[in-house]
Amino acid sequence: MSPIRIGRPVLAALVLALLARAVAGIAAAAVPAPPRYLAGGEGREIAGRACLMCHAATLITQQAKDSTGWEKTLAQMEKWGAPVTPAEHPKLHAYLWQHYGARTAR
Amino acid sequence: MRPLSRRAFLTTCSRAGLGVATLATLPRWARAGLGATAPHGVIVRNEWPEHWETEVGTLARNWITANPTFFVRSHLDAPSIDPGTWRLEVTGLVDHPLTLSLDQVRALPHVERVHTLECAGNGRGLLHPASTSGTQWERGAVGNARWGGVTLATLLERAGVAGGARHVWFEAADRAPLAKVPPFLRSIPIEKAKADTFLAWTMNGAPLPRLHGAPLRAIVPGWYGMASTKWVTRIRLEEQPSDNHFMVRGYRYNAPGEDPTKAEPVEAMRVKSLITYPLEGARIRPGAITVQGFAWAGLPGVQRVELSIDGGRSWQAAGFAGDSEPLAWRRWTVEVMLAHGARTLMARATDAAGATQPLEATLNAGGYGNNSIHQVNVDVAD
Repeated sequence: MSPIRIGRPVLAALVLALLARAVAGIAAAAVPAPPRYLAGGEGREIAGRACLMCHAATLITQQAKDSTGWEKTLAQMEKWGAPVTPAEHPKLHAYLWQHYGARTAR
Repeated sequence: MRPLSRRAFLTTCSRAGLGVATLATLPRWARAGLGATAPHGVIVRNEWPEHWETEVGTLARNWITANPTFFVRSHLDAPSIDPGTWRLEVTGLVDHPLTLSLDQVRALPHVERVHTLECAGNGRGLLHPASTSGTQWERGAVGNARWGGVTLATLLERAGVAGGARHVWFEAADRAPLAKVPPFLRSIPIEKAKADTFLAWTMNGAPLPRLHGAPLRAIVPGWYGMASTKWVTRIRLEEQPSDNHFMVRGYRYNAPGEDPTKAEPVEAMRVKSLITYPLEGARIRPGAITVQGFAWAGLPGVQRVELSIDGGRSWQAAGFAGDSEPLAWRRWTVEVMLAHGARTLMARATDAAGATQPLEATLNAGGYGNNSIHQVNVDVAD
Protein backbone atom coordinates (compact mmCIF):
# COMPACT_ATOMS: atom_id res chain seq x y z
CA MET A 1 0.00 0.00 0.00
CA SER A 2 1.40 3.36 -0.93
CA PRO A 3 1.81 5.85 1.86
CA ILE A 4 -0.71 8.70 2.01
CA ARG A 5 0.87 11.78 0.57
CA ILE A 6 -0.15 15.19 1.83
CA GLY A 7 0.72 18.18 -0.33
CA ARG A 8 2.42 21.21 1.21
CA PRO A 9 -0.56 23.59 0.92
CA VAL A 10 -2.81 21.01 2.57
CA LEU A 11 -0.28 20.43 5.32
CA ALA A 12 0.11 24.18 5.88
CA ALA A 13 -3.67 24.59 6.07
CA LEU A 14 -3.91 21.72 8.50
CA VAL A 15 -1.19 23.16 10.74
CA LEU A 16 -2.85 26.59 10.64
CA ALA A 17 -6.24 25.09 11.48
CA LEU A 18 -4.74 23.18 14.40
CA LEU A 19 -2.93 26.30 15.62
CA ALA A 20 -6.11 28.37 15.39
CA ARG A 21 -7.95 25.69 17.31
CA ALA A 22 -5.23 25.60 19.96
CA VAL A 23 -5.26 29.39 20.34
CA ALA A 24 -9.06 29.41 20.60
CA GLY A 25 -8.76 26.60 23.11
CA ILE A 26 -6.35 28.59 25.25
CA ALA A 27 -8.60 31.63 25.21
CA ALA A 28 -11.54 29.62 26.46
CA ALA A 29 -9.60 27.04 28.47
CA ALA A 30 -11.06 25.77 31.70
CA VAL A 31 -8.85 26.12 34.73
CA PRO A 32 -7.36 22.62 34.97
CA ALA A 33 -7.43 20.66 38.19
CA PRO A 34 -3.95 21.12 39.70
CA PRO A 35 -1.30 18.36 39.63
CA ARG A 36 -1.49 16.18 42.72
CA TYR A 37 2.25 15.84 43.26
CA LEU A 38 5.10 18.26 43.62
CA ALA A 39 7.47 18.61 40.68
CA GLY A 40 10.77 16.78 40.99
CA GLY A 41 13.99 18.71 41.56
CA GLU A 42 16.24 20.19 44.17
CA GLY A 43 14.22 21.51 47.08
CA ARG A 44 11.31 19.11 46.60
CA GLU A 45 12.21 17.20 49.74
CA ILE A 46 12.07 20.39 51.84
CA ALA A 47 8.69 21.34 50.35
CA GLY A 48 7.37 17.83 50.93
CA ARG A 49 8.39 17.95 54.57
CA ALA A 50 7.67 21.56 55.49
CA CYS A 51 4.58 22.40 53.44
CA LEU A 52 2.60 19.17 53.27
CA MET A 53 2.16 19.05 57.04
CA CYS A 54 -0.76 21.40 56.76
CA HIS A 55 -1.98 21.18 53.17
CA ALA A 56 -1.86 19.05 50.06
CA ALA A 57 0.57 19.59 47.19
CA THR A 58 -2.35 20.84 45.07
CA LEU A 59 -2.34 24.12 46.99
CA ILE A 60 1.20 24.72 45.71
CA THR A 61 0.99 23.25 42.23
CA GLN A 62 -1.86 25.57 41.18
CA GLN A 63 0.03 28.72 42.19
CA ALA A 64 1.89 31.11 39.94
CA LYS A 65 3.91 33.66 41.88
CA ASP A 66 6.90 35.85 41.23
CA SER A 67 9.92 35.83 43.50
CA THR A 68 8.44 38.43 45.85
CA GLY A 69 5.16 36.52 46.00
CA TRP A 70 6.86 33.29 47.08
CA GLU A 71 9.04 35.19 49.55
CA LYS A 72 5.91 36.63 51.16
CA THR A 73 4.22 33.24 51.32
CA LEU A 74 7.31 31.58 52.79
CA ALA A 75 7.74 34.31 55.40
CA GLN A 76 4.11 33.91 56.42
CA MET A 77 4.33 30.11 56.65
CA GLU A 78 7.59 30.23 58.61
CA LYS A 79 6.06 32.75 61.00
CA TRP A 80 3.24 30.24 61.49
CA GLY A 81 5.70 27.48 62.33
CA ALA A 82 6.54 25.74 59.05
CA PRO A 83 9.77 23.84 59.87
CA VAL A 84 12.20 25.50 57.46
CA THR A 85 15.75 26.22 58.66
CA PRO A 86 17.54 29.43 57.60
CA ALA A 87 19.77 27.30 55.38
CA GLU A 88 16.78 25.65 53.72
CA HIS A 89 14.88 28.88 53.14
CA PRO A 90 16.69 30.00 49.96
CA LYS A 91 16.60 26.45 48.56
CA LEU A 92 12.86 26.16 49.13
CA HIS A 93 12.26 29.62 47.71
CA ALA A 94 14.26 28.75 44.59
CA TYR A 95 12.37 25.49 44.16
CA LEU A 96 8.94 27.13 44.43
CA TRP A 97 9.87 30.02 42.17
CA GLN A 98 11.43 27.75 39.56
CA HIS A 99 8.52 25.33 39.36
CA TYR A 100 5.57 27.56 40.23
CA GLY A 101 6.77 30.94 39.04
CA ALA A 102 4.80 33.82 37.61
CA ARG A 103 2.97 33.29 34.35
CA THR A 104 4.65 34.95 31.40
CA ALA A 105 1.51 34.68 29.28
CA ARG A 106 -1.78 33.02 29.79
CA MET B 1 -13.72 1.63 62.97
CA ARG B 2 -13.84 5.35 62.40
CA PRO B 3 -11.36 6.62 59.82
CA LEU B 4 -8.41 8.42 61.35
CA SER B 5 -8.61 12.17 60.78
CA ARG B 6 -5.52 13.89 59.50
CA ARG B 7 -5.02 15.76 62.73
CA ALA B 8 -5.51 12.61 64.78
CA PHE B 9 -2.97 10.91 62.53
CA LEU B 10 -0.46 13.72 63.01
CA THR B 11 -1.01 13.72 66.75
CA THR B 12 -0.48 9.97 66.84
CA CYS B 13 2.72 10.32 64.83
CA SER B 14 3.95 13.04 67.12
CA ARG B 15 3.12 11.06 70.28
CA ALA B 16 4.83 8.02 68.84
CA GLY B 17 7.95 10.11 68.43
CA LEU B 18 7.74 10.12 64.67
CA GLY B 19 8.93 13.36 63.17
CA VAL B 20 7.12 15.53 60.70
CA ALA B 21 9.14 13.81 57.99
CA THR B 22 6.82 10.85 58.44
CA LEU B 23 4.04 12.52 56.51
CA ALA B 24 6.21 13.49 53.58
CA THR B 25 7.65 10.00 53.31
CA LEU B 26 4.26 8.29 53.38
CA PRO B 27 3.36 6.30 50.29
CA ARG B 28 1.02 8.03 47.87
CA TRP B 29 -1.97 5.92 48.78
CA ALA B 30 -1.64 6.84 52.43
CA ARG B 31 -1.32 10.55 51.74
CA ALA B 32 -4.20 10.53 49.26
CA GLY B 33 -6.35 8.88 51.93
CA LEU B 34 -5.90 11.81 54.29
CA GLY B 35 -8.53 13.93 52.54
CA ALA B 36 -12.17 13.13 51.89
CA THR B 37 -13.11 11.55 48.56
CA ALA B 38 -14.70 13.95 46.11
CA PRO B 39 -17.77 12.74 44.22
CA HIS B 40 -18.33 12.86 40.47
CA GLY B 41 -19.23 16.34 39.27
CA VAL B 42 -16.72 18.03 41.56
CA ILE B 43 -13.30 19.47 40.66
CA VAL B 44 -10.72 19.02 43.42
CA ARG B 45 -8.83 22.29 43.64
CA ASN B 46 -7.10 21.21 46.83
CA GLU B 47 -7.05 17.75 48.36
CA TRP B 48 -6.74 18.87 52.00
CA PRO B 49 -7.99 21.02 53.50
CA GLU B 50 -10.78 20.30 51.01
CA HIS B 51 -11.34 22.89 48.30
CA TRP B 52 -13.95 21.38 46.00
CA GLU B 53 -15.59 23.15 43.11
CA THR B 54 -18.91 22.13 41.58
CA GLU B 55 -18.77 21.63 37.83
CA VAL B 56 -21.07 24.06 36.01
CA GLY B 57 -22.73 21.10 34.27
CA THR B 58 -23.54 19.67 37.71
CA LEU B 59 -25.23 22.89 38.82
CA ALA B 60 -27.28 22.62 35.61
CA ARG B 61 -30.93 23.57 36.20
CA ASN B 62 -31.16 22.53 39.83
CA TRP B 63 -32.22 25.50 41.91
CA ILE B 64 -31.06 23.55 44.96
CA THR B 65 -27.50 22.23 44.84
CA ALA B 66 -27.25 18.69 46.19
CA ASN B 67 -25.18 18.26 49.36
CA PRO B 68 -22.56 15.84 47.94
CA THR B 69 -21.64 18.19 45.10
CA PHE B 70 -22.00 21.51 46.97
CA PHE B 71 -18.68 23.37 46.82
CA VAL B 72 -16.37 23.06 49.83
CA ARG B 73 -13.85 25.60 51.05
CA SER B 74 -12.10 25.03 54.37
CA HIS B 75 -9.18 27.06 55.63
CA LEU B 76 -8.05 24.40 58.09
CA ASP B 77 -8.71 20.68 58.45
CA ALA B 78 -12.35 19.72 58.89
CA PRO B 79 -12.66 18.52 62.49
CA SER B 80 -14.61 15.43 63.47
CA ILE B 81 -16.80 16.57 66.35
CA ASP B 82 -18.65 14.28 68.74
CA PRO B 83 -22.15 15.79 68.76
CA GLY B 84 -22.74 14.28 72.21
CA THR B 85 -20.01 16.30 73.93
CA TRP B 86 -20.12 19.35 71.66
CA ARG B 87 -21.36 22.55 73.32
CA LEU B 88 -22.24 25.99 72.04
CA GLU B 89 -21.26 28.87 74.28
CA VAL B 90 -22.74 32.34 74.01
CA THR B 91 -20.42 34.60 75.92
CA GLY B 92 -18.70 38.01 76.08
CA LEU B 93 -20.87 41.11 76.38
CA VAL B 94 -24.08 39.29 77.28
CA ASP B 95 -26.30 39.46 80.38
CA HIS B 96 -26.68 35.67 80.73
CA PRO B 97 -23.88 33.55 79.24
CA LEU B 98 -25.26 30.33 77.74
CA THR B 99 -23.85 26.85 77.30
CA LEU B 100 -26.08 24.69 75.12
CA SER B 101 -25.92 21.06 74.01
CA LEU B 102 -26.87 20.19 70.46
CA ASP B 103 -30.25 18.93 71.66
CA GLN B 104 -30.86 22.25 73.41
CA VAL B 105 -29.92 24.16 70.26
CA ARG B 106 -32.24 21.94 68.22
CA ALA B 107 -35.08 22.61 70.67
CA LEU B 108 -34.98 26.34 69.91
CA PRO B 109 -37.45 27.81 67.37
CA HIS B 110 -36.52 26.39 63.99
CA VAL B 111 -36.25 28.30 60.72
CA GLU B 112 -35.56 27.02 57.20
CA ARG B 113 -34.30 29.37 54.53
CA VAL B 114 -32.81 28.99 51.08
CA HIS B 115 -29.63 30.98 50.54
CA THR B 116 -26.89 31.10 47.97
CA LEU B 117 -23.33 30.83 49.20
CA GLU B 118 -20.44 31.88 46.99
CA CYS B 119 -16.77 31.71 47.86
CA ALA B 120 -15.21 35.18 47.72
CA GLY B 121 -12.43 33.70 45.56
CA ASN B 122 -14.82 32.18 43.00
CA GLY B 123 -13.47 33.15 39.58
CA ARG B 124 -9.96 33.91 40.85
CA GLY B 125 -8.51 31.39 38.41
CA LEU B 126 -10.08 33.31 35.53
CA LEU B 127 -8.23 36.52 36.34
CA HIS B 128 -4.89 36.70 34.63
CA PRO B 129 -2.31 38.41 36.80
CA ALA B 130 1.25 37.23 36.22
CA SER B 131 1.57 36.55 39.93
CA THR B 132 -1.31 35.41 42.06
CA SER B 133 -2.04 33.61 45.27
CA GLY B 134 -4.83 31.37 46.50
CA THR B 135 -7.01 28.63 45.12
CA GLN B 136 -7.61 28.99 41.42
CA TRP B 137 -11.38 28.63 41.42
CA GLU B 138 -13.13 28.86 38.09
CA ARG B 139 -16.94 29.31 38.25
CA GLY B 140 -18.39 26.64 40.51
CA ALA B 141 -17.48 27.79 44.03
CA VAL B 142 -21.13 28.70 44.44
CA GLY B 143 -24.28 26.80 45.39
CA ASN B 144 -27.76 27.20 46.75
CA ALA B 145 -29.14 25.20 49.67
CA ARG B 146 -32.01 25.10 52.12
CA TRP B 147 -30.46 25.69 55.52
CA GLY B 148 -32.28 24.91 58.76
CA GLY B 149 -31.49 26.12 62.24
CA VAL B 150 -32.02 28.89 64.75
CA THR B 151 -31.73 32.61 64.18
CA LEU B 152 -28.94 34.40 65.93
CA ALA B 153 -31.54 36.96 67.03
CA THR B 154 -33.28 34.22 69.06
CA LEU B 155 -30.04 33.22 70.77
CA LEU B 156 -29.01 36.80 71.45
CA GLU B 157 -32.41 37.56 72.91
CA ARG B 158 -32.00 34.66 75.37
CA ALA B 159 -28.48 35.66 76.29
CA GLY B 160 -29.34 39.37 76.49
CA VAL B 161 -27.08 41.78 74.62
CA ALA B 162 -25.14 43.89 77.10
CA GLY B 163 -24.31 47.54 76.52
CA GLY B 164 -21.34 48.14 74.25
CA ALA B 165 -21.71 44.94 72.23
CA ARG B 166 -21.16 45.87 68.60
CA HIS B 167 -19.76 42.74 66.95
CA VAL B 168 -20.47 39.02 67.03
CA TRP B 169 -17.40 36.78 66.89
CA PHE B 170 -17.70 33.19 65.71
CA GLU B 171 -15.16 30.84 67.22
CA ALA B 172 -14.85 27.39 65.69
CA ALA B 173 -13.32 23.98 66.29
CA ASP B 174 -11.04 23.75 63.24
CA ARG B 175 -7.31 24.06 63.87
CA ALA B 176 -4.16 23.67 61.80
CA PRO B 177 -1.62 20.98 62.73
CA LEU B 178 0.85 23.75 63.62
CA ALA B 179 -0.09 25.61 66.79
CA LYS B 180 1.09 29.01 65.55
CA VAL B 181 -1.32 29.07 62.61
CA PRO B 182 -4.12 31.43 63.65
CA PRO B 183 -7.57 29.91 63.98
CA PHE B 184 -10.10 30.98 61.38
CA LEU B 185 -12.11 33.47 63.38
CA ARG B 186 -14.46 35.89 61.74
CA SER B 187 -16.89 38.43 63.17
CA ILE B 188 -19.90 40.30 61.82
CA PRO B 189 -21.53 43.54 62.96
CA ILE B 190 -24.35 43.02 65.45
CA GLU B 191 -26.87 44.64 63.07
CA LYS B 192 -26.22 41.90 60.50
CA ALA B 193 -26.31 39.25 63.22
CA LYS B 194 -29.74 40.38 64.37
CA ALA B 195 -31.14 41.02 60.89
CA ASP B 196 -30.96 37.61 59.22
CA THR B 197 -27.95 35.57 60.34
CA PHE B 198 -28.67 32.13 61.67
CA LEU B 199 -26.98 28.96 62.86
CA ALA B 200 -27.73 25.90 60.75
CA TRP B 201 -27.65 22.22 61.62
CA THR B 202 -29.49 20.97 58.55
CA MET B 203 -28.66 21.33 54.87
CA ASN B 204 -31.34 20.45 52.32
CA GLY B 205 -33.24 18.57 55.00
CA ALA B 206 -30.32 16.32 55.96
CA PRO B 207 -28.04 16.68 59.00
CA LEU B 208 -25.34 19.22 58.19
CA PRO B 209 -22.42 17.27 56.62
CA ARG B 210 -19.01 17.39 58.34
CA LEU B 211 -17.35 19.22 55.44
CA HIS B 212 -20.04 21.89 55.67
CA GLY B 213 -19.52 22.55 59.36
CA ALA B 214 -21.29 19.87 61.42
CA PRO B 215 -22.76 20.04 63.89
CA LEU B 216 -23.41 23.79 63.59
CA ARG B 217 -22.41 26.55 61.20
CA ALA B 218 -23.26 30.18 60.70
CA ILE B 219 -25.16 31.30 57.63
CA VAL B 220 -24.68 34.98 56.88
CA PRO B 221 -27.11 35.57 54.00
CA GLY B 222 -25.99 37.68 51.07
CA TRP B 223 -22.35 37.74 52.18
CA TYR B 224 -19.53 35.80 50.62
CA GLY B 225 -18.96 32.37 52.13
CA MET B 226 -16.04 33.24 54.42
CA ALA B 227 -18.49 34.96 56.79
CA SER B 228 -20.50 31.76 57.29
CA THR B 229 -18.18 30.15 59.84
CA LYS B 230 -18.28 26.33 60.02
CA TRP B 231 -17.92 24.11 63.12
CA VAL B 232 -19.02 26.95 65.43
CA THR B 233 -18.38 26.38 69.13
CA ARG B 234 -18.59 29.85 70.66
CA ILE B 235 -20.40 33.08 69.93
CA ARG B 236 -18.74 35.99 71.59
CA LEU B 237 -20.12 39.51 71.73
CA GLU B 238 -17.45 42.17 71.64
CA GLU B 239 -17.11 45.89 71.27
CA GLN B 240 -14.60 45.56 68.43
CA PRO B 241 -14.49 43.43 65.28
CA SER B 242 -12.22 40.38 65.35
CA ASP B 243 -8.53 41.18 64.84
CA ASN B 244 -7.90 37.72 63.39
CA HIS B 245 -5.53 37.39 60.43
CA PHE B 246 -8.42 36.35 58.16
CA MET B 247 -10.32 39.53 59.08
CA VAL B 248 -7.53 42.09 59.09
CA ARG B 249 -5.22 40.88 56.32
CA GLY B 250 -7.27 38.28 54.47
CA TYR B 251 -10.47 39.06 52.59
CA ARG B 252 -9.71 42.66 51.72
CA TYR B 253 -10.10 44.38 48.36
CA ASN B 254 -6.56 45.76 48.34
CA ALA B 255 -4.94 46.53 45.01
CA PRO B 256 -1.70 44.63 44.33
CA GLY B 257 1.02 46.12 46.54
CA GLU B 258 -1.47 48.01 48.75
CA ASP B 259 -1.73 47.44 52.51
CA PRO B 260 -4.69 45.07 53.04
CA THR B 261 -5.35 46.34 56.56
CA LYS B 262 -6.44 49.70 55.11
CA ALA B 263 -8.55 48.29 52.29
CA GLU B 264 -12.30 47.68 52.10
CA PRO B 265 -13.31 44.34 53.65
CA VAL B 266 -14.93 41.65 51.51
CA GLU B 267 -18.53 41.32 52.69
CA ALA B 268 -21.68 41.28 50.50
CA MET B 269 -21.71 39.21 47.32
CA ARG B 270 -21.48 41.16 44.09
CA VAL B 271 -24.17 40.78 41.45
CA LYS B 272 -23.33 37.88 39.15
CA SER B 273 -24.80 35.45 36.66
CA LEU B 274 -23.74 32.06 35.43
CA ILE B 275 -24.67 30.32 32.19
CA THR B 276 -25.26 26.64 32.95
CA TYR B 277 -26.60 25.71 29.50
CA PRO B 278 -25.12 25.44 26.97
CA LEU B 279 -21.70 24.63 28.38
CA GLU B 280 -18.40 26.04 27.19
CA GLY B 281 -17.28 24.45 23.91
CA ALA B 282 -20.66 22.85 23.19
CA ARG B 283 -21.58 22.03 19.62
CA ILE B 284 -25.21 22.93 18.97
CA ARG B 285 -27.56 22.99 15.99
CA PRO B 286 -28.50 26.34 14.41
CA GLY B 287 -31.86 27.85 15.28
CA ALA B 288 -33.59 28.50 18.55
CA ILE B 289 -31.87 27.54 21.79
CA THR B 290 -33.00 28.19 25.35
CA VAL B 291 -30.01 29.52 27.25
CA GLN B 292 -30.25 28.92 30.99
CA GLY B 293 -28.46 29.84 34.15
CA PHE B 294 -28.57 31.36 37.60
CA ALA B 295 -28.14 34.91 38.86
CA TRP B 296 -27.63 36.25 42.33
CA ALA B 297 -26.63 39.42 44.13
CA GLY B 298 -25.82 40.53 47.62
CA LEU B 299 -28.36 42.31 49.72
CA PRO B 300 -30.36 44.19 47.03
CA GLY B 301 -31.23 40.96 45.20
CA VAL B 302 -30.97 40.37 41.47
CA GLN B 303 -33.37 42.36 39.32
CA ARG B 304 -32.67 41.42 35.71
CA VAL B 305 -30.53 39.25 33.49
CA GLU B 306 -29.74 39.96 29.87
CA LEU B 307 -28.06 37.92 27.19
CA SER B 308 -25.97 39.06 24.26
CA ILE B 309 -24.96 36.96 21.26
CA ASP B 310 -23.24 39.79 19.40
CA GLY B 311 -20.36 40.70 21.68
CA GLY B 312 -22.38 43.04 23.86
CA ARG B 313 -23.76 45.30 21.12
CA SER B 314 -27.33 44.30 21.92
CA TRP B 315 -28.90 42.60 24.94
CA GLN B 316 -32.03 40.51 25.22
CA ALA B 317 -33.90 40.25 28.54
CA ALA B 318 -34.08 36.84 30.19
CA GLY B 319 -37.07 35.68 32.22
CA PHE B 320 -36.91 34.28 35.73
CA ALA B 321 -38.18 30.77 36.27
CA GLY B 322 -39.02 28.62 39.25
CA ASP B 323 -38.63 29.37 42.92
CA SER B 324 -37.72 32.68 44.45
CA GLU B 325 -36.57 33.42 47.98
CA PRO B 326 -34.73 36.43 49.40
CA LEU B 327 -30.96 36.12 49.02
CA ALA B 328 -31.20 32.95 46.98
CA TRP B 329 -30.19 32.78 43.36
CA ARG B 330 -32.77 32.86 40.60
CA ARG B 331 -32.92 30.56 37.65
CA TRP B 332 -33.28 32.36 34.34
CA THR B 333 -33.91 31.34 30.76
CA VAL B 334 -33.92 33.14 27.45
CA GLU B 335 -34.48 31.84 23.93
CA VAL B 336 -32.10 33.10 21.28
CA MET B 337 -31.60 32.31 17.61
CA LEU B 338 -28.12 31.17 16.71
CA ALA B 339 -26.77 31.08 13.18
CA HIS B 340 -23.94 28.85 11.93
CA GLY B 341 -20.43 29.55 13.15
CA ALA B 342 -18.48 30.24 16.33
CA ARG B 343 -20.72 32.17 18.73
CA THR B 344 -20.19 33.71 22.12
CA LEU B 345 -23.01 34.00 24.65
CA MET B 346 -22.69 36.68 27.31
CA ALA B 347 -24.93 36.90 30.41
CA ARG B 348 -25.17 40.10 32.44
CA ALA B 349 -27.09 40.52 35.69
CA THR B 350 -28.14 43.77 37.37
CA ASP B 351 -29.22 44.08 41.00
CA ALA B 352 -32.08 46.09 42.47
CA ALA B 353 -29.67 48.88 43.43
CA GLY B 354 -28.63 49.28 39.79
CA ALA B 355 -25.21 47.64 40.05
CA THR B 356 -24.40 45.61 36.96
CA GLN B 357 -21.70 43.12 36.07
CA PRO B 358 -18.57 44.51 34.42
CA LEU B 359 -17.05 42.98 31.31
CA GLU B 360 -13.83 42.57 33.31
CA ALA B 361 -13.83 42.97 37.09
CA THR B 362 -11.15 45.23 38.58
CA LEU B 363 -8.23 43.17 39.79
CA ASN B 364 -7.41 43.09 43.50
CA ALA B 365 -4.47 41.33 45.13
CA GLY B 366 -6.56 38.53 46.61
CA GLY B 367 -8.56 37.87 43.45
CA TYR B 368 -11.82 38.40 45.35
CA GLY B 369 -15.28 39.22 44.03
CA ASN B 370 -14.66 38.43 40.36
CA ASN B 371 -18.07 39.08 38.85
CA SER B 372 -16.96 39.59 35.26
CA ILE B 373 -19.63 38.81 32.67
CA HIS B 374 -19.74 35.08 31.94
CA GLN B 375 -18.95 34.29 28.32
CA VAL B 376 -19.61 30.89 26.79
CA ASN B 377 -18.21 29.95 23.41
CA VAL B 378 -20.21 27.50 21.32
CA ASP B 379 -19.87 26.01 17.89
CA VAL B 380 -23.13 26.25 15.93
CA ALA B 381 -23.22 23.64 13.19
CA ASP B 382 -25.56 21.09 11.61
